[in-house]
Amino acid sequence: MSHTQVAPQHRGAVALLVIPVLAGGLVAAALGVYGELHPPTGFAFGLAGFSGPLAMKVWLTTLAALLAIVQVFSAFAIWGRIPVRGSWPGPVHRWSGRLAFLATVPVAFHCLYAVGARYDDPRVMFHSIFGCLFYGVFVTKMLSLPKRGLPGWVLPVAGGLVFTLLIGLWLTSSFWFFTTIGVQF
Amino acid sequence: MSRLGPIYTLAVGVVMTAGLTVASATASPQIQETSAVPAAAGADPLATPEATDEATPDATQEPEEVAAPEPEEDPTPKKADYAGVVDQNGGLIAISIRNGKVVGYFCDGKIEAWLKGTAADNTLTLEGKDTLVTAALRGGKAQGRIEYKNKSWRFSAATVKKPSGLYRATAQVRGARVVGGWIKLPNGQSVGRIMLGENSGEAAAAFDGGVQEWYGIPLTPQDPDQFIDSFLAPAAPAS
Repeated sequence: MSHTQVAPQHRGAVALLVIPVLAGGLVAAALGVYGELHPPTGFAFGLAGFSGPLAMKVWLTTLAALLAIVQVFSAFAIWGRIPVRGSWPGPVHRWSGRLAFLATVPVAFHCLYAVGARYDDPRVMFHSIFGCLFYGVFVTKMLSLPKRGLPGWVLPVAGGLVFTLLIGLWLTSSFWFFTTIGVQF
Repeated sequence: MSRLGPIYTLAVGVVMTAGLTVASATASPQIQETSAVPAAAGADPLATPEATDEATPDATQEPEEVAAPEPEEDPTPKKADYAGVVDQNGGLIAISIRNGKVVGYFCDGKIEAWLKGTAADNTLTLEGKDTLVTAALRGGKAQGRIEYKNKSWRFSAATVKKPSGLYRATAQVRGARVVGGWIKLPNGQSVGRIMLGENSGEAAAAFDGGVQEWYGIPLTPQDPDQFIDSFLAPAAPAS
């Protein structure tokens, strides 16, 4: 869209990202440090209605992953890559995103509070890293959204990263559970 | 779009996290206090932990009379099962001796440790992941200390008889090993934890001694006589 912008404007526009990126980096680092240093309690308060915390995490992550797919399609609609009528893609994108984020909170809380970051098993290592990065990039994107005059690539790149990380989180947790234990509630 | 919308989203996430932190910090321990568990109903009605001490005179006498036994004769019982509460932590510990070999399990529903070690001269030393347990056998009790990571708690475990004591179940599912551990006290208290692989696990439901179903996986609890050999075997994977 704005590939013809002159360089100085670009530089000023990218400068708008300094605070969001710093804040996101701080969040990711803080989660990693907490996961490493906090002694795992083995237990955390979570949502009732499942047979156990593993099932709770598996299904909330699956809900978030499904909503993330809604995110991708509604984002395509917002950017005009999918022709749609009406102004619904915006609200759908915002609310599916909010729900997806909130669905991940009890999951990440249980992971970090009860279990902690671990690096001794590839699945758990990638899951730990993806989890910290996910919230970092998410914070960066949330803080970037209100900024006016950002380069056009910023939000798609941030959104694409958040989506990719969430799918990575789902593959290293829910998908592993479904293929190891089965589809259990 | 409200420019503050994304900030509200983040704020709700922060508030949720704060709520979960408070709820988790104040949540009750995972020990099952039910005395209505079927196995407890079948147990000796007198068998409170205190009553058990008195009711097991077999192991009580000999250690007290001689402080320094003959070097040839090891006074350590050949077969004994102990279970009791860990002070401060509130979890349970169970220790079983079989001919000088010792297995143990410490669990408060949240953290757990499988222990293996030796018994000699009425002294037990057991080790597990991040855990060291030392205990002295006196008066039909195993009394000692458990060191878990940077923490240290005292415990006193009385002699117990089936159906009280230590249970373990293992199962292999696609690509992962499931290990369940349970401790049952004569007063009906029980605690347990089930691990899926090395890194995922959760507190077990109240223990009734029968087959425990966990996410559709049947787990058959075994007593120490049944599991001690496979548990102590060096070839046992990831035990």
